Amino acid sequence: MIGPDAVLLARDRFGLESSDLGPTLPRERLLEFARALYGAGYVYLVYISAMHHPAAKQGETEVPARYTVVYRVRDLARGLEFPFRCEVPLGTGVPSLAGVWAGADWQEREAFDLVGPVFENHPDLRRIMLPEDWEGHPLHRDYAINTPHHPWR
Amino acid sequence: MNMLFGSPVLHALILGVVIISALLGVTSYFIWVERKFAGRMQSRIGPEHVGWKGLLQPIADAFKLLIKEDITPKSADRAMFNLAPLLAVTVALLSLAVLPLASGLVIADLDVGVLFFLAAGALTVVPTWMAGWGSNNKYALIGGMRAIAQSVAYGVPLVLAALVPVILSGSMNLSHIVAAQAGGHWFAFWPIGPGFAAGILFVLATLAEGNRIPFDIPEAESELVSGISTEYTGMKFGMFYLGEYVHSLVGAALFVTLFLGGYDGPGPDVLVLQLAWFLLKTAVVSMLLLWVRWTYVRLRSDQLMTLCWKYLLPSGLVLVVASALWVWWKQQGGLA
Amino acid sequence: MSTHAPAHPVETSSAPAARVPTPVIGPRANPYLDIESYEAEGDLMVLNMGPQHPSTHGVLRLKLWLDGEVVVKAVPYLGYLHRGVEKLLEKLSYVQSTPIVDKNDYVASMTNELALVMAFEKLEGCEVPRRARYLRTICAEMQRVASHLLWLGTFALDMGGALGGGTTAFMYCLRERERILDLFEELTGARFHYHMMQIGGVRHDLPAGWDAHMKQVAADILARIPEYESMLSENPIFRARTRGVGRIDALLAQELGLSGPNLRACGIDHDLRKSQPYAAYDEIEVRSAIAYEGDVYARYVVRVAEMRESLRIATALIDGVPSGPIMGRKPIETVNAVKPPAGEAYVAIDSPRGELGSWVVSDGSPKPYRCKLRPPSYHALAALPYLLPGTTIPDVVVILGSLDPIMGEADR
Repeated sequence: MIGPDAVLLARDRFGLESSDLGPTLPRERLLEFARALYGAGYVYLVYISAMHHPAAKQGETEVPARYTVVYRVRDLARGLEFPFRCEVPLGTGVPSLAGVWAGADWQEREAFDLVGPVFENHPDLRRIMLPEDWEGHPLHRDYAINTPHHPWR
Repeated sequence: MNMLFGSPVLHALILGVVIISALLGVTSYFIWVERKFAGRMQSRIGPEHVGWKGLLQPIADAFKLLIKEDITPKSADRAMFNLAPLLAVTVALLSLAVLPLASGLVIADLDVGVLFFLAAGALTVVPTWMAGWGSNNKYALIGGMRAIAQSVAYGVPLVLAALVPVILSGSMNLSHIVAAQAGGHWFAFWPIGPGFAAGILFVLATLAEGNRIPFDIPEAESELVSGISTEYTGMKFGMFYLGEYVHSLVGAALFVTLFLGGYDGPGPDVLVLQLAWFLLKTAVVSMLLLWVRWTYVRLRSDQLMTLCWKYLLPSGLVLVVASALWVWWKQQGGLA
Repeated sequence: MSTHAPAHPVETSSAPAARVPTPVIGPRANPYLDIESYEAEGDLMVLNMGPQHPSTHGVLRLKLWLDGEVVVKAVPYLGYLHRGVEKLLEKLSYVQSTPIVDKNDYVASMTNELALVMAFEKLEGCEVPRRARYLRTICAEMQRVASHLLWLGTFALDMGGALGGGTTAFMYCLRERERILDLFEELTGARFHYHMMQIGGVRHDLPAGWDAHMKQVAADILARIPEYESMLSENPIFRARTRGVGRIDALLAQELGLSGPNLRACGIDHDLRKSQPYAAYDEIEVRSAIAYEGDVYARYVVRVAEMRESLRIATALIDGVPSGPIMGRKPIETVNAVKPPAGEAYVAIDSPRGELGSWVVSDGSPKPYRCKLRPPSYHALAALPYLLPGTTIPDVVVILGSLDPIMGEADR
């Protein structure tokens, strides 16, 4: 179940309302929120992932392309779960949470490798699934599944 | 049997050729026995199709190894790389020279037989190390390093355990040691105590010297791919394989000679019967070693060293002293 | 519990005793150690336990910096089995995606399908009939036994080598696993990739006589587990190789997101079958095995206890399978038949390796917008840079084996 203390934390200290999918944090306050959650007992990291929204036209306005980075943490002692997310336009980095949860390191590497958001202050941001010299991020919505790439050896 | 043709050189040559050929043949079929035995232990059958009940399997294996491509890594140290497999088989066969198969049936009846086979046992590390270094391969190097550490370490309990029958019989000549056990007084069981414990020590040290599981860290297949024999192909690999089995059989034969009375057994003192007893006992001991191999997982390298230096070495020292005391007590009149 | 009491106490209860999870032992190893400035006692050697190796459980490259035989730094390289599954799931429709994820965790295929299909059902708001939920649970539990049997065999193989005692344990475990695969073949027609789960239920119903066959297989395997224990837990060499090796403290395990037996061996009673019951787990009592030492032996003991528990659950459920339909929606006949409304869902199940989850984002079309699979093996491998420094090469193999990684699901 969603942790009520985390919902209150988001509302009172950060002024954010949480939907079903948790609060959407601005990137400047992400690290602070993560540390507060860890301090509140949410030490179990379930996953960190990301998705890409291509640029779209909503009526007259042009909505630029952006990444949504999603997080989900749990407090096993009390059986509570809490998702939260952060949206950034392409080209802007997201602060890395590797200093808060040790598992965030590899999760962020995978999100960077496949989807694209750059995580700032990450101890070792390299591609993990794809070869080091791969160009592009395959899970972009506009990346064709049969994009040619030079033969891997 | 008297010296063949009256000359020790001809005697050694002819008998040597006969016995070594017989041994190599027996080893190939020992491999068949092992595969069947291991198969039954693992609720499967083992080789079955090549020949009746798989009896032609060793021949098929040897043929396969012969026709395989012989690959030498470009940056390998050629001399060491090519010499190592040859030495592996040769050194393993050396100890055969002093083994009495029946009374008089020994290739070279040395008065320092025990010293000879201990020296030959110590030599077994040389081809292993040569393979490890000459392959120019990190896995082989680690295997070679482990082999040296293990061989040097386990050489000590081997010597101490072999000393016990020497003390109990008063001679280093293997024929005399067997003669001292005549009439059923096998050193493993009489006197109660030192002989039995020394026998166990000898078995463990022989397993370690021969790189058999649970002491096969130089060749630890799940950690070091194939350890020292990683870069070897074809018949060179076959030589290592053969050398390992020869060492195992010869080690079992030595154990039988030192602790189980050699060719001693009930019945008349006929050469054929003595040979039969010897072979039977060697077979039983070899099967026991096989059983251990297919049951246990291997020890970690530092645990292996701990076992040797902290447990086997002190036990060996105690056993040597105990057997010396027993002999002195006997000489003082014993129970009489 | 067994008559062969393992050296580490293992509790199986819904409310384990109040013992402390594995405490933090010393400072954490630094996975980002600057190897240039490290002062080695001997010479530093770089060894690649490369993608091809008998014991890396698939294609995993472990770059080890060794000081003698002691590991100083370990860097795992993944991606050798990356097949672009998440991209493929975006290209295919919901209906077509089940056979694709079968191949992630290729040892326990049913659980992959279950995690994905449950996420789709949550998006759609589809109700699964009771009979289908029972079948799902029985299949999942027998699948857990089969997976743990394979793990046990390969774990012993890692330690004893292909020509030795490890092979004997391996042959015994696979002999049992073959019987479970025969069961599944009778049920679904396939031995490895079943395609059993469908959105809204299951695809195959029980053939006649399957329940008697299943009970026979379960009883036979239960009778054989003491045989494995006598070969392994009661073997002093095995105990020396596994006790005290590869300890993870509870806090690191939680931060990394470890789950399943890896986490339960650290003393944390976290079991998704109990905390977020799915399928038919809300109708039966699940007792998860907990151990408190956090080392390799604890993980081994937990998995063996889990095998027993799974056999018990499956045997208890098979007698009471309710009658009824096995699909909760009308039969799927076209590729675009399933069109869940826009939204997101995360559903996780307790697979033999841990928490296998799928986070699916739908935009109302017949194809998922984003489908992320959360594999437990990926998190387990992330523990390696913390666990390996300070151990020797034989320990590396044993620790890697005890974490039970499957590269198919770690790489996707």
